[in-house]
Amino acid sequence: MSDVKIEASALSRSYRRADGAEVKALSAVDLRIEAGQFVCLVGPSGCGKTTLLQIIAGLVPPSGGNIVVNGQRVTAPGPSRGMVFQKDSVFPWMRVHANVEYGLSCRGVAKAERQKVAAQYLERVGLSHVAGAWPRELSGGMLKRVAVATVFANGADVLLLDEPFGALDYVTKRQLHDVLLTLWAEGEAGRRRTVVFVTHDVDEAMILADRIVVLRAGRVVDDLAVAADRPRTTDALLLPGMVRIKHILLTHLGLEAAR
Amino acid sequence: MTPRPGWWSRNWASLAAIAAMAGVWEILSFIYTAEAAPGEPMVPGWEIVFGRTLLSLADYWGGGLGVASVAEGAPPSYTAAVLAIISNSFDTIVRLYTGLIAGAAAGTALGLAVSWSPWPRRVVDSPLQFLRTLPLLAMVPLFQLWFGTEFIGKVAFVAYGIGVIFFAGVANAVRNVPQIFIDNARTFGASRATLYRTVIFPAILPELRATMLLALGTGWGAVLGAEYLGAQSGLGYMIVYSEQFAYLDRMFFVALLFVLYASVSYALFDRVSRRLLDWTAKSGQVSATL
Repeated sequence: MSDVKIEASALSRSYRRADGAEVKALSAVDLRIEAGQFVCLVGPSGCGKTTLLQIIAGLVPPSGGNIVVNGQRVTAPGPSRGMVFQKDSVFPWMRVHANVEYGLSCRGVAKAERQKVAAQYLERVGLSHVAGAWPRELSGGMLKRVAVATVFANGADVLLLDEPFGALDYVTKRQLHDVLLTLWAEGEAGRRRTVVFVTHDVDEAMILADRIVVLRAGRVVDDLAVAADRPRTTDALLLPGMVRIKHILLTHLGLEAAR
Repeated sequence: MTPRPGWWSRNWASLAAIAAMAGVWEILSFIYTAEAAPGEPMVPGWEIVFGRTLLSLADYWGGGLGVASVAEGAPPSYTAAVLAIISNSFDTIVRLYTGLIAGAAAGTALGLAVSWSPWPRRVVDSPLQFLRTLPLLAMVPLFQLWFGTEFIGKVAFVAYGIGVIFFAGVANAVRNVPQIFIDNARTFGASRATLYRTVIFPAILPELRATMLLALGTGWGAVLGAEYLGAQSGLGYMIVYSEQFAYLDRMFFVALLFVLYASVSYALFDRVSRRLLDWTAKSGQVSATL
């Protein structure tokens, strides 16, 4: 099974709340993600999707079960798994280009090389003109572009995104979907990066994902393939297959009655 | 952006306030004519301070550079007085900044160490929190007995006072670094040392600015305190010596020197730190938008 990229088996995570109650964020999650897949984790807030992502990243240890990425058990964060956070994670004390170079410099890549790579990704996300600016001079959408450019520049083959565009306005969000999909799609089919994208936005998941995994109360309750071609235009999202998926998702979220 | 107003229009109000203070002092010197000792007014006017007082500071010149000292029988001269001010100021400032650099370095290193892993925290944190509660100036005699009244004794005292402030400031600032920056660096594969160099240290700098300002004030107090007891030179020594003879005007003159030096050191620090903290939002933006 060489093309399984991420494999979670019987993964659980519980923690004790301040009032002493035991909270199960994840219980017995089994999930297999193949290399090059674009997977969205969808679920109501508090369902454990962010916890699952943090466990894959290695930021949070599981209470039980196993998480294996690239055939190796995850025990700590590492550069093979890039992460884009919900909140702004761009370092305010580094200029934009230094932020994009950050992962490369952590791995000891020579200055000339990392400047070249950073310039290349800044251009792809449309931020060449602010390479020398401080992050405080950028808008929220531009900061997200910096964060996306940074993880792609670092060359991680697994990208974990935790509601990255949740706080952005609709137009900016749609532009960033295009940026993300373009960067993701540029690899040859066999060398595409594997993406796990957490969102609570059903439409966002349907625009982006190959596969939508639904979580509820710490368990995987559904796993849907999205076969529609890309780019997914407004019309494509209205095809019967897509509408059916949307109904299923909305039902899981408790917004529609099961039928 | 509107052009920055000129230096004069930004500062005229402060200058006027300082001039007014000087004027009030001069008026007081005419109204309140009591004397600490015969011929030593409690409130020396400016004509005394920059005349007779300045000349009398020649007493503190120990001789050399072709200018004979008063103790050797030479008459007081303004040259000797200026040399006395320069050499004593130099001694104090060297003691202050040597202690400041040593104390800031040691305090920062210890403050970072307690956040590095649990063991340094257990070993270092409690004793240093305990030391913090000791009143600084009460420790002057102890430091003199331990380290002597020479250069090392004073520098050690200043370094101690500043080190404790820096330790507390750094340890606290590290606790305030947002977790997201640490997580972000770790997902890029930053090693612990890289994390400290590229994230923790720059992230705590804005808070260290406040610590440094506090330390500068404490440092001036500490070096004076150390010089009050047992020093043979320095501005603190000049004050103590003057007090023994009720030379109130000389004490006032030295106090003015302190104000001057402290202001210069604050201004220099402000300029340097502003450059280092260029990445933070410009201060003064609030009043500019109101």
